[in-house]
Amino acid sequence: MAQESSIGSILLADCGTVMTKVVLLDRVRGHYRFVARGETPTTTEYPWSDVTAGIRHASEQITEVTGRTFFDTAGDLLSSEHGGAGVLAATTSASPPLEIVIGGLVRDLSVASAERAAAGTYSQVKAIIASDGRGGLTEEERVHTIIKASPDVICIAGGLENGAERPVLELVETTALACSLIEERARPRLLYVGNSQLRQRVVDSVKGQVELRVADNVRPTLTEENLFNAQAELDEFYRQNKMAQLPGMDALEMWSPTSLTPTARAFSRMVQYLWHLGDSTKGVLGVDVGAANTTIAATFDGQSFLTVRGDLGIAFGGRQLLQEHDTQALARWIPEPMTEDEVLGTLLNKEIHPASIPQEPRELWLEQALAREAIYRTLEVAQPGWEPGAAHPYPHLMPFCDTIIVSGGVLVNAPRPGQTALMILDTLQPIGISTLVLDKYGLASALGSVAAVKPLAAVETLDSGGFVNLATVVSPVGRARPGDTVLRVKLTYDDGSAFSVEVQYGNIEVLPVLPGQQADLELRPARRFDAGLGPGRGGKRRISGGLAGLIIDARGRPLRLANEPEERQVQTRQWLWDVGG
Amino acid sequence: MYYPFEAQVTPLVNVRRERILPVPGDVLVKLNERVEPTQVVAHANLPGDFRVLSVAPELSVSPTKIKRYMQVKVGDNVRRGQVIAKKRNRIVKSSMAGVLASIGSGRVLVETPPTPFELRAYINGVVTNVLQNRGVVIETTGAVIQGAWGTGGESFGVLKRLVKSPDKSLRARDIDPSCHGTIVIGGSEVNEAVLERAQELQIRGIVTGGLAPELIPLVKRSPIPIIATEGIGTIPMSDPVFQLLTTNDGREASISGQVRPRWGVVRPEIVITLPAESLPSGQVQPGTPLTTGARVRVVRAPYLGQVGTVMSLVDHPRHIETDARVRGAVIDLEQEEPVFVPLVNLEVLR
Repeated sequence: MAQESSIGSILLADCGTVMTKVVLLDRVRGHYRFVARGETPTTTEYPWSDVTAGIRHASEQITEVTGRTFFDTAGDLLSSEHGGAGVLAATTSASPPLEIVIGGLVRDLSVASAERAAAGTYSQVKAIIASDGRGGLTEEERVHTIIKASPDVICIAGGLENGAERPVLELVETTALACSLIEERARPRLLYVGNSQLRQRVVDSVKGQVELRVADNVRPTLTEENLFNAQAELDEFYRQNKMAQLPGMDALEMWSPTSLTPTARAFSRMVQYLWHLGDSTKGVLGVDVGAANTTIAATFDGQSFLTVRGDLGIAFGGRQLLQEHDTQALARWIPEPMTEDEVLGTLLNKEIHPASIPQEPRELWLEQALAREAIYRTLEVAQPGWEPGAAHPYPHLMPFCDTIIVSGGVLVNAPRPGQTALMILDTLQPIGISTLVLDKYGLASALGSVAAVKPLAAVETLDSGGFVNLATVVSPVGRARPGDTVLRVKLTYDDGSAFSVEVQYGNIEVLPVLPGQQADLELRPARRFDAGLGPGRGGKRRISGGLAGLIIDARGRPLRLANEPEERQVQTRQWLWDVGG
Repeated sequence: MYYPFEAQVTPLVNVRRERILPVPGDVLVKLNERVEPTQVVAHANLPGDFRVLSVAPELSVSPTKIKRYMQVKVGDNVRRGQVIAKKRNRIVKSSMAGVLASIGSGRVLVETPPTPFELRAYINGVVTNVLQNRGVVIETTGAVIQGAWGTGGESFGVLKRLVKSPDKSLRARDIDPSCHGTIVIGGSEVNEAVLERAQELQIRGIVTGGLAPELIPLVKRSPIPIIATEGIGTIPMSDPVFQLLTTNDGREASISGQVRPRWGVVRPEIVITLPAESLPSGQVQPGTPLTTGARVRVVRAPYLGQVGTVMSLVDHPRHIETDARVRGAVIDLEQEEPVFVPLVNLEVLR
């Protein structure tokens, strides 16, 4: 293993479901800098069946740019003494998700908490068995449900501490019965995260029939949620049973001085790290929309929350969305009429060729609509589990967020920066003042991973522009009639020139502040409007420019789309026009 | 350097297919044995259905005491409606015929006998590996055509081309009684009437260029394997695929509509076994970088399904219609002008 002091250049690899990205960081004048990147299809399938082949392929693109080689002719990683990289740190989301059946007593309490625990790793909830009215099943139906779902893990929650006993034990007995009917090599494991007083009786009840793990009660009281322990167990299940099965993992483990990290976990680490660098009274959010997964990571008050929807991505999420909702869920974001068949056909063709990108604007709108829905639906799972504290003055809205990291191909490779910004504004609906930061090179998760071996590299790469500022966003909160002035904005550039604008309720305004440029922003909101400085309070802020400039989003929170399709299409076209999309 | 996605449209190649049982069972063929597509090469018993009978609550007794009220023992056969437990006037009947498999926690489990499962060879060939209790590997030589989307299981029949050119729609009236037992080859699309007619005449498979999205629920219910070689929509079958199928018109072929888009990718396919002393040289090796002169298929609109030749790989990103800047290649699609296509929208045909 390389010692930290001797580490020179660093290769960061992220092996996604569809694409593998490799980034080279190297020391330039004593500081780590982003040097080059390569991207190529992931190679877990025939003809390679080896995840490391993709890393080599992407590294070859870096070789074309830098002239440096990183692998010998046998395909092994060259050490720094032989001109290679000092370290390779890798993350992956290429494995299939952990398939989980969740059992619990009350759908909105223990089951909801167990769902959020499951969402802490790449997982797919195959079925839910709740004992309360909704979805109440007979014992036989429960057994059939478990057998049909054929999960990797059954997660049983339920019973507050010192609470219900009998229904929890019945659920465990049913689970044990179902497991006994499944062939031994395919038998799921049982994770018990319910009433801790029952642990011994649970152990006695399932003895010999199923492999059991226990973790802290995810819902110890009506108002308290404790996911940490359960998430750690599920994360470990994922690493052992899914990540470890990736072809080529042995070689990758040997190359990397740190254990291979799930991409979402490393992404969450980066979000947490950025929180420590910023305004601690606010939160930091990260959103990553991939081909197969959507991740939202948040840090508030130093506490991290990670939510992954392992069934919702740009390539493999469309059909899932159409099953859960209908084409209207997607059509509402598309600025042109599109038939159900066109939507379904395009989504299926994307699933067949998951790396392909839209070449026609209509297909682009659909893909961006899918990204919006994926973020929106992931947020629905994530937000109830957050504990944002003082950053959350408006309970039904998003907490104040200082920085929002934007990652994933559909977002960072949108043809125009305004399109990326609008996807984030439409879905996350930030309030107050936030900075949108683009993970242009796909560095975020890999940097989260490298921070474990070389924290300095992470810091210096960020400082040297590893991320690209997308926009500063001001989203005033309050109610007014469309057209009422809700915010007066004055932007003073360093050359002394200034720009003032009155922003009307319902509108988006974009002011130019170029990347690398800085400006003084003065905000004067209307009475009872909060632009992030307190209701009715104005003030000044120093802001940095971005690809999409300064965006004032005065459309109101929560965002309201027009009911009629034609009206809605006009609305979405207008917003796209406003942000330069 | 870019390593593209690949699809097989190959006139002659070594074909190797693993045939694996869903649960452990018995392999019925030997190493080096020649097998035919419909031959059963392995069989297994799939778990049967079951019923859970909640005896304790039905009889209002403690779960630990139900054994004294049982009328049948573990291992006994039970009929549907047979009383299996009784306490004075309270009785519990079996809701299914089967075997009483276990008693525990106040419940009784009744299972039906296992369902036999037969694994067929699927292709003509020779058994080159026997995987004990699990299945076999069969190898042959022949043509392979991988499709984009498919549904249905596996089948075997004679290929019968029913359209004159790849851009023609397959119509119901094209399918006459002579198509019985064949795999029919269409062009750019099929319709509902075609699917009905195919079922009536017990067609063994349908190969088409595109498939309308609205037909998907219907074809998923159909027992006939259906392959869309290019994708979803009205899409002419690409020329190399149409030519290869035309060349082999009248030959026996295996067809599989099975598809899995990720995590152990399975593509729908047609395999035509052909005798070969040796394989042609100069084929594109799998897993090699994209080069000038490679035969590629475009997998995204507006050129979806069109096949052409790579004229040049462009060093720097270029703008495409959406205004995105992407890496790509200039492709000769045998139209008026060559076109620029993003690399990720190409697959190499092998």
